[in-house]
Amino acid sequence: MDYSMEDTQNSAPDALEASKLSTTAQRSDTQSVTKRLQAELMQLMLSPSPGISAFPDADGNLLSWTATIIGPTETPYEGLTLKLSFAFPNNYPYSPPTVLFKTPIYHPNFDFSGRICLDILKDKWSAVYNVQSVLLSLQSLLGEPNNASPLNAQAAELWDSDQEEFKRHVLARHRDLDEE
Amino acid sequence: MLSTVPLNVGRRRVFGSVFSPASLEAPAKSKSTPKHENDHTPTTSFHSSTGSTSTFKADSLPNSFATVGGSTDSPDEETLEQARLVASEFLSVPNLGFQLLYDYRNTDGSEVLKQWNRLSPPSKETAEALDCLVRNCPWTLFDGYGCDIRRHFLVNLRDGLSELLGSSEKEGLLRTIVDCLQLARRVYLAPVVHYLLPLIPTPHQAGFLAQLQRAFHTVVSYSLPWRQISPLLANELTRDAVTILGIDTVDGDSNMEKMSVDEMEVDRAYSVSYKDWRQETTEARAHMMVEGEDHRVTVARDRLLAFLNGLQLVGLGAEKAQKVFAKVMNVMMSDFISAAYTGQWDAPTSAPQHLRQWIENVFARLAVQVLAIIHSEQSGTQTGALDVSFGDVEKWQDMGIARLGALRVSELFDVVVEWPASSGAVEDLRHFTTHTTSRTHVTQSFINMLQQRLLHPGASTVEILQVYISIIRAFHLLDPKGVLLDRIARPIRRYLRDRDDTVKVIVGGLLADSTTTNAGDTLSELSTELTKVHQHSMRSNKGELDFDDLNWVPDPVDAAPDYRKSKSADVIDSLVSLFDSKETFVKEMQTLLADRLIQNRKNYDQEITVLELLKVRFGDSALQACEVMLRDISDSRRLNISVQKQSHSKPRSAATANRHVQPESTELHAKILSRFFWPEIQEQEFKVPHEIAKLQESYATGFEALKASRKLNWRNGLGQVTVELELENHSFVGEVTTWQATVIYAFNSDTDTDTDPNEPVTKTVTELSDTLSMTPALVRSACLFWVSKRILIEPHRDTFRVLEILPSEDAAQTSAGGGITGPEGAEDEDDDGANAAAAAEAAAAAAAKESAEAAAMEKMNLHWQFIVGMLTNQGPMPLQNIVMMLKIVVPGGFPFSNEELREFLGGMVSRGKLEVVSGGSYKIVH
Repeated sequence: MDYSMEDTQNSAPDALEASKLSTTAQRSDTQSVTKRLQAELMQLMLSPSPGISAFPDADGNLLSWTATIIGPTETPYEGLTLKLSFAFPNNYPYSPPTVLFKTPIYHPNFDFSGRICLDILKDKWSAVYNVQSVLLSLQSLLGEPNNASPLNAQAAELWDSDQEEFKRHVLARHRDLDEE
Repeated sequence: MLSTVPLNVGRRRVFGSVFSPASLEAPAKSKSTPKHENDHTPTTSFHSSTGSTSTFKADSLPNSFATVGGSTDSPDEETLEQARLVASEFLSVPNLGFQLLYDYRNTDGSEVLKQWNRLSPPSKETAEALDCLVRNCPWTLFDGYGCDIRRHFLVNLRDGLSELLGSSEKEGLLRTIVDCLQLARRVYLAPVVHYLLPLIPTPHQAGFLAQLQRAFHTVVSYSLPWRQISPLLANELTRDAVTILGIDTVDGDSNMEKMSVDEMEVDRAYSVSYKDWRQETTEARAHMMVEGEDHRVTVARDRLLAFLNGLQLVGLGAEKAQKVFAKVMNVMMSDFISAAYTGQWDAPTSAPQHLRQWIENVFARLAVQVLAIIHSEQSGTQTGALDVSFGDVEKWQDMGIARLGALRVSELFDVVVEWPASSGAVEDLRHFTTHTTSRTHVTQSFINMLQQRLLHPGASTVEILQVYISIIRAFHLLDPKGVLLDRIARPIRRYLRDRDDTVKVIVGGLLADSTTTNAGDTLSELSTELTKVHQHSMRSNKGELDFDDLNWVPDPVDAAPDYRKSKSADVIDSLVSLFDSKETFVKEMQTLLADRLIQNRKNYDQEITVLELLKVRFGDSALQACEVMLRDISDSRRLNISVQKQSHSKPRSAATANRHVQPESTELHAKILSRFFWPEIQEQEFKVPHEIAKLQESYATGFEALKASRKLNWRNGLGQVTVELELENHSFVGEVTTWQATVIYAFNSDTDTDTDPNEPVTKTVTELSDTLSMTPALVRSACLFWVSKRILIEPHRDTFRVLEILPSEDAAQTSAGGGITGPEGAEDEDDDGANAAAAAEAAAAAAAKESAEAAAMEKMNLHWQFIVGMLTNQGPMPLQNIVMMLKIVVPGGFPFSNEELREFLGGMVSRGKLEVVSGGSYKIVH
């Protein structure tokens, strides 16, 4: 008697069941992500914070957003328009979104391809953070870089030694993104 | 005598067709083998040596026997030839034309027969010849005569007949034709019947006659194309069948009345009318259609049967006529059903019962009678069996029920609208919806009807909901399992969700006062429904997961995949479940409740009752906000009293008005609302008079002493004021809104400071608007209100003056009426007053519109945030994309049309917030 055969027969429905469950779970997951993002958007719209805004991209699935930060006054970035992209994972808000600067930026904690060194976007992420809090953190980071862990060592050095030169670098690096 | 022949013939003819005629002949001659030979060569098979019949007769047998060997003697041949000649001469029909037949078609035929020389007996010689022939070779004789008939018919009658058939006068044409043909038939067959057949042994007579008949029938059907005959026959059948089946009596009242005047009066016992039948007792019903046939019906029946007899005789009957008859009866059944049962929706229904009885006693009776006459040739094989079996009758009854169902389906919309007066119709339908296909049919056609007649912009939401409620009830009766309702309800529910005011109507209906039936624009029915004892609410609805449900049955086979069984026809549940969440519903409930609670009323029992009932359904938590609102009102009543005591020592407890203002002794009563739990209330902001403000302050102090951590925030725009105005020769007492009171108070306060107290106070709208910080529209509206009350007049546009002294005729009127105390007092026949009232209304409408526009703007503002966010982050976008994105991201969808948005964006462009860049895209201006 072929017992292995029997085994597969017994296990097959379970496996099927499991796969079914996982797909439904995934779907409900996406739904809850969408719901959460919609709520965040609503909150952003109802209580806008000065200098920051964000909006979903036109692809319609709400999982990728574009955000804008206006450089805060009395920082080298004053008046500059900085654009960022948000990509939300399927298990958001249990994992942080991937945030990148789209506008070229010169800053101790951001590298030249726009990657960001910010603890709350990495290991310190928590589900209570949202788009607004991330943007506010980034906004404050513009005025007070965290020079302890720089991504751009030159910028960090320059920030401490020569603000004027730093600002010149910032303006040289900055380019308004063409609004397509 | 003739009429009895065909029946016999019919039966016998079968033998003729099944067994060859030869085999009939054979036993008569006690021979079998040579017959075949004889058949094939008839002219040589019979021998007759002499012309004399006696010898022939004597010799015939031996001769016949002699032929066994096959010998063929010739002398007899000659004799036979001779006899044949004589016979054919005797039988030959004179070549007289068709006209003769036509002229005599209504006589008994004897005249014609005489004219055509068909009755004169044969001479002796002829008789002998015939006899000889009949004895020896009857088949040749009849064959020959058959040929003669055909030839004669084609030559003489065919043209006339086809001419007749082509005539334009169709009425009764077929009867004429059949009469003529019957005459022709008699002409052909009379000599045979009278002189030839008696010579033949009785058992074989029928066979020969049938042969001739067949010849005649063939040529008739050949000459008269059936395509032309069948519509004529159908007409003929319809005309009489309508009377016999009683359709003309049930069809239309005018006809009915006419009948009853004429002769129906005499014999009312016989009627197939469903209405009459319903009124009778059960015993009387059973006899109603069986006995006491109407005279008119009897006449029609006799006429029809006689006609069909003739038809059958001349060969136009049989299967082809049966087909026509079947078609006619088919139409008749539908006609009867639609004539008898349309609009008969009373409950309890007995239409199916009546229909079955009608089919059994009237319909089937006619069918049996007719089919007995126009039987087909084969039908005689089972001799004695009826053409119509009981199985057939049952089938007809089923068909009838199905058609009744179809009728009810087509009426279903009206039935539902008439509900509950029309429950009988739904009972009828239950007999019909027993198969899956018929159920699909019901739902399909009903949905189509709904789309056509209900779900369109012309129908008000109240109407749609009303019908929906009726549908729920009607279909619950029709199909307790709810599958049909489930299917029907889908499009309605989808449509109702799209309507903005659905929630408002439902909630309004729930809160409506069920005792006063001022229906029309409210669904007061709902509140009645709500107060009914709700037996299922206590049982938690676990649906499929209720494993203890011993009455569980699987879903019906034709249920939709997401079909959810509803245990009852709970109207409220169905309506409330229209919306995805209870939130929408509760929100609307709050808004409406707020409106009603702010009103100045003695008690709010109605609201409390409704809320308690709803709590049973929805649970406490869902309606918490409403609960708080009600408590606010009752709390503030108590608070009001203690505040009054504390601050003023004025213990009057008419504690319902928001504020009560009088120049000298002003009372202020407040309702304290917990802002968080109340919906946003639209109101106009303005400054209240100084005195009131002081009162408010002291009230607030009193309140804060009682409730330490709370702060009062006055809503000046809401509430009622009782105003008393004393003027020179008239006065006014009435309840008005706060802003109206404030405006009139402004006119008052100035008199104190004015230098000349005798000069009436005059103010312009702008002045008032500035001092009261009220919008000009609202000021104007309030002034016009007072104009309509004859307190103010408007000498110039936007300037108002107090009307201290009424013009004399008005004064007389008003003093007679006891002063102007209300709107109806002001609107006497006076044109000015009426005009002013109209103007005031228009101004109030304008003010309301302004605040509504402000509300719309408020709503749009939220969307403006979205648009700003969108354009800031995604760059310039054309209108279309903006709309699309808004539809995706705004929770609850984007309620404005493209045009509205375009207008709004246009406004933003002119304000300099947006600019239009290349390609018509909108860009944010920094």
